[in-house]
Amino acid sequence: MIEIDSLHKQIDGRTIVSNLSLSIQKGSVFGFLGPNGAGKTTTMKILVGLNHPSSGRVTIDGHAPSETLTREKLGFMPEAPYFYEHLTGLEFLRFCGELFARPRGEAAYEALLRKVGIFEAKDQRITTYSKGMKQRLGFAQALVNDPEYVFLDEPLDGLDPIGRRALKSMIRELKHDGRTVFFNSHILFDTEELCDEIGILNRGSLLFAGPLGEFTRGLSLEEQFVATIEQLEVTA
Amino acid sequence: MKHSFIRDTLVVAKNTFKESVRDKVFYALFAFAFITITFTLFLGSISLSEDVHVIRSLGMAGIYLFSILITVFLGTALMYKEIERRTLYFILSKPVTHAQVVVGKFLGLFASVALSTLGMTAVYLATVLYAGGGFDRLALLAVFFEILELGLLIALSIFFSTFAKPLAGAVYAILVIYIGHSLGMLAAVSEKSGVLAHRFIQVLYYLLPNLEKFNIRDLVLYNQAPSLSATLAVVLYAAVYATILLCGGTLLLKRREF
Repeated sequence: MIEIDSLHKQIDGRTIVSNLSLSIQKGSVFGFLGPNGAGKTTTMKILVGLNHPSSGRVTIDGHAPSETLTREKLGFMPEAPYFYEHLTGLEFLRFCGELFARPRGEAAYEALLRKVGIFEAKDQRITTYSKGMKQRLGFAQALVNDPEYVFLDEPLDGLDPIGRRALKSMIRELKHDGRTVFFNSHILFDTEELCDEIGILNRGSLLFAGPLGEFTRGLSLEEQFVATIEQLEVTA
Repeated sequence: MKHSFIRDTLVVAKNTFKESVRDKVFYALFAFAFITITFTLFLGSISLSEDVHVIRSLGMAGIYLFSILITVFLGTALMYKEIERRTLYFILSKPVTHAQVVVGKFLGLFASVALSTLGMTAVYLATVLYAGGGFDRLALLAVFFEILELGLLIALSIFFSTFAKPLAGAVYAILVIYIGHSLGMLAAVSEKSGVLAHRFIQVLYYLLPNLEKFNIRDLVLYNQAPSLSATLAVVLYAAVYATILLCGGTLLLKRREF
């Protein structure tokens, strides 16, 4: 279970996340939504141990992500990932896999590359990959340790419709296998298809957290989201 | 398999090694060094009866210069590139500590720089042999000292690259190299300076690495070698200084917001 309790994050004196509290059940797909600069990526970086809270507490199965053992069961795909361009796709995946206590081995890495659709390019340098291929490789490395918790920052960005469909199908598969998926996205149509629950963040504060249907109330997620944010802008 | 500091560090080191030996800068400098060292053969041939001495002198200086260039170019960009390109996100979101990242990066780059230095040394030894100077055994000792200096400079470059852009880091590193090789001279000058200048030079003297400790090229040119105890003292000096810099680099990296 992911628990965020009164999380507050300041960077260079600026409040990025303010008093955020959330609980995400194991095995659910949680969509974290919000306009640009809302604090979604910062929250995710704290959840995967890259940054630390200024105050408040974040735990995954009761342990802080800053503990290396907690990160053993996490997978993280950063937004618009950059790679070690002199490595091949397979070398990169092997490198990521070897950073875990139980590396899964060559066959698993190749199976993963096959699953994300870039197996044919496994021995090519990453520098020759298209944006979509890099996105798929980023997704593959997030699954390299067969994680219990998968954090995806804008996973559908830069993918063509076929790539989006493939990635969504893999996210559904993760849910089916009992994994917890936490993702940030701007693409609300896809989020609506995938999520059990959503959280909406605006200017660092949580506006809503709960089941998708409770927020949309018969409208599409995009309509309700835009209406909510616009209403806030008017009242601000 | 369990996590161990060494295992995880070596995984990072292996990746850094692969990345750096495939870097175009590495190849370009290595090729240029190869040409320069073989060019000394020509310079030796036009110097009257001093051909082997000239080849040895210029060859060892060439190895040193190009090794330093590779170290500074690759070292000062190492962590900065990881941070700017966000490749560090992949590593630090996995069960790896900041210290393992810094030490792994250090070992990986150290291995590639040492390999390139040994490659240049092989070309140098062949050149001296071809010129009739025999097997220059003592040059290996000079290169060993040089590799120790390169290790210290890699740690220094990594330290700079945790907070400075590559160009600024390269400037800082070159300044330290210049001053580090002039500390003895500075100390002598400070004896004749005013109190304030004397204090300032003293601070520099104790703070900056004394890189002349690693320069035995002149000694070797005249077929002399440092004692074993002097050699061990230099090894210890390099190890302690590099460790302090790597600890500093780790602390700076830990404090960074991503």
